[in-house]
Amino acid sequence: MTMPITATIRYHFMKDIGAPFLMRLQKSRRKRRPYKPSPYLGPPLKCASRLREIMTRHYFLSRYATKAKPIAWVSSGAPVELLRVFDFYTIYPENHGALCGAQKMGPEICQEAEKQGYHPDLCSYARIDLGHAFSSKTPVGSLPKPDLLFCSNNICQTILYWFKELSHYWQIPLILFDTPYNFQDIRQVDIQYMVAQLEEMIPKLEVISGKRFSPKRFEQIITIAKDSSRLWGKVLATLKARPAPMTIFDAFIHLAPIVSLRGLPVARQYYEILLHELEDRVRKGIAAVKEEKKRLMWDNIAIWFKLRDWSLLFAEHGCNFVAATYTNAWAETIHYLDPASPFESIAKVYSLVILNNNLRHRLNIMRQMIKDYQIDGLVIHSDRSCKPYSVGQYDIKRLLAEELGIKTVVIEADMTDSRAYSEEQTHTRLEAFFEALGAI
Amino acid sequence: MDKLNRKDYLLIQKEKGNVIFGVFPAQYPREILWAMNVVPAEIWDPPIDISAANAHLQSYICSVVRRGLELVLQGKCDFLDGFIFPHTCDSIQNMASVINDYIGQTKPCYFFYHPKAPYWQSAHQYYLAQLKDLATKLENDLGPLEDGALRQAIEDSNQIAQVVGKMYERRAKGRLGGQSKEFYNTLRKGEYLLPQDFIPLIERYLRDNRLDSAKQGIPVVLSGVLPNPVELLDNLDQLGVWVAHDDLLNASRRWLAPEMDTSIDPFEVLTSKYFNMPPCTTRGAGIKERAKFLLRLIEETGSKGIIFNIVKFCETEWFDVPNLQNLLKKHGIPSLVLDAEINQGLSGQMATRVEAFIEMIQ
Repeated sequence: MTMPITATIRYHFMKDIGAPFLMRLQKSRRKRRPYKPSPYLGPPLKCASRLREIMTRHYFLSRYATKAKPIAWVSSGAPVELLRVFDFYTIYPENHGALCGAQKMGPEICQEAEKQGYHPDLCSYARIDLGHAFSSKTPVGSLPKPDLLFCSNNICQTILYWFKELSHYWQIPLILFDTPYNFQDIRQVDIQYMVAQLEEMIPKLEVISGKRFSPKRFEQIITIAKDSSRLWGKVLATLKARPAPMTIFDAFIHLAPIVSLRGLPVARQYYEILLHELEDRVRKGIAAVKEEKKRLMWDNIAIWFKLRDWSLLFAEHGCNFVAATYTNAWAETIHYLDPASPFESIAKVYSLVILNNNLRHRLNIMRQMIKDYQIDGLVIHSDRSCKPYSVGQYDIKRLLAEELGIKTVVIEADMTDSRAYSEEQTHTRLEAFFEALGAI
Repeated sequence: MDKLNRKDYLLIQKEKGNVIFGVFPAQYPREILWAMNVVPAEIWDPPIDISAANAHLQSYICSVVRRGLELVLQGKCDFLDGFIFPHTCDSIQNMASVINDYIGQTKPCYFFYHPKAPYWQSAHQYYLAQLKDLATKLENDLGPLEDGALRQAIEDSNQIAQVVGKMYERRAKGRLGGQSKEFYNTLRKGEYLLPQDFIPLIERYLRDNRLDSAKQGIPVVLSGVLPNPVELLDNLDQLGVWVAHDDLLNASRRWLAPEMDTSIDPFEVLTSKYFNMPPCTTRGAGIKERAKFLLRLIEETGSKGIIFNIVKFCETEWFDVPNLQNLLKKHGIPSLVLDAEINQGLSGQMATRVEAFIEMIQ
């Protein structure tokens, strides 16, 4: 793949001059809403504006990446570090789906896929992504058409079915990092298989990107990715403090760089700032929820279209979410990452994540988190779109209640498609939950 | 033996000293099991009411998984000696873990992960290693796997592929009498019969249903997971439609195996078999490959259309349907999509849609 010089110049101009200028302009024009202190929530995080800037810039620049850089659409659990060596501009459809969900555009874009025959029972991230491909509808202006699809089935098998559809639609290559599910402990034969796949990918990525693989660059990127994930882990660990300096609803938002910009210096820099701010809040006793009476854990992907409402609702009841299995997923296996043994360690990092591991493992993680974060209650989002996250949740509820007496509520919903959510039923359940928790 | 019902047959095998394993869908090396005197009893769509499973699975999980778990929870698998869980889809994957990790089930569980397409060389080596790993685990529990026994099992498997292939071939040419329901009832006995009982059954079926002149009616191809609900097959028969071929996970995608070379290493043979089976969603087959396969079935059988009869909530199958329909349409092949629960009959609305489709293609 050769990049035309004009596209490259235009991309670099926008990256170095255009985007920073526009970001400044946007910042100065943005009408500052006067900060109204909430009676229930603590002051917002200062670095939220920096996050907005980073993500806006990322999506804005992607418009100029076409023909200037190879573009890959990547699944959240794929080893993006390898793509970074070849300088791919990466777009994360799951992150885009979450954005669409948070902007309450989920049903509208899903329907674009449904019009083309995709069943409403299919994963709503996939329907949003396909719906966007068919209609170009998106809250971020536009997304560049990819040259490559890169996914791993460590999060679900659905991702393979979904990316297969995109690959067919755009007639572009699909690379799968096949991570055998750990029904029991990971075996050497599994690691060998994954290492072999990573090695087999390299010549293919060289052809698609027109760039040579550099082991030295790979090592550098892995180091950055490892640092970022460790920082993310430390960010989450600040929530062990009482009161916690942020809520998991904040973490769902601040997750974006570790998902979408992993392996890039900007993600590391951002988490350094965020960690610094959170540690400062802990020192000063600044609480995310002013009266943190009960500490909760969240299981499964966020319900993006309810994030804001629920942040207030739970705070009103003196409840703060201080842990989530979902946000933890980008930090839990990072200790395996070793720049000195990049392929083998990547195999472990990516195949030992929560969703690629048996349910006994998930229960152990949750037990540990309940202890570490002093959890009083658990909210389980039974996500219609995400079967690998949801099948087993009823047993998790039962087992944790039997063993630890933990109060739990199961919410039947969907991460982005509000048509699969009943406000009335959910509120009835939540009221009962608050009552059981003694948080009324 | 093949006239016995499933449970009685399995109990007799147990009395004979065989080991009985419940096997969940879909792809697994049955030859290794046969060679170790294990009778695989596949669990696809047990005809039971779902009650206990509701406490473990959400309503948006497919009925293959819900019924499978229900069977275990109701104690109807108590006579089994263990379970095998192939890695078929997200729901079966997690159900396997629920059974192994959460419900206090103590029988040995074996897991079989098969690589997903697009395949590279590493996938072949991994599949080979997976076969050996499964064999080693079974050997640890059941005793040694004899090379001769495995070669014999491969020969048996070849013979099954041959007779089943004949069933399909004759049906495709309209030279097989009887109803579609009988065809699948017979074929599906292979889900638990050992080769020595299954092969004669198929041979007898072929003899009994031989047609000297070509069958009249409208040929169609059936795609999906299972040939269920049975009422759909009845309905088609009544409308003068015969299923001339299928692309069913439960049927042709597993039974129409290429002939295996018995002279080379048996594990290599089984590896080669896996990568040469008809394209299948559970292995990650590409859309073009699947469309090409379906078009070949249409061409070979002169079928007038395709019925995608998809189990509700089966993401594995549902994703490909729109593109397959579009590609078929480009070749002038009409198709019908049915969203079916496997054992809940054919609703009036579905029957009307089938009827309208048949009117259109005839």
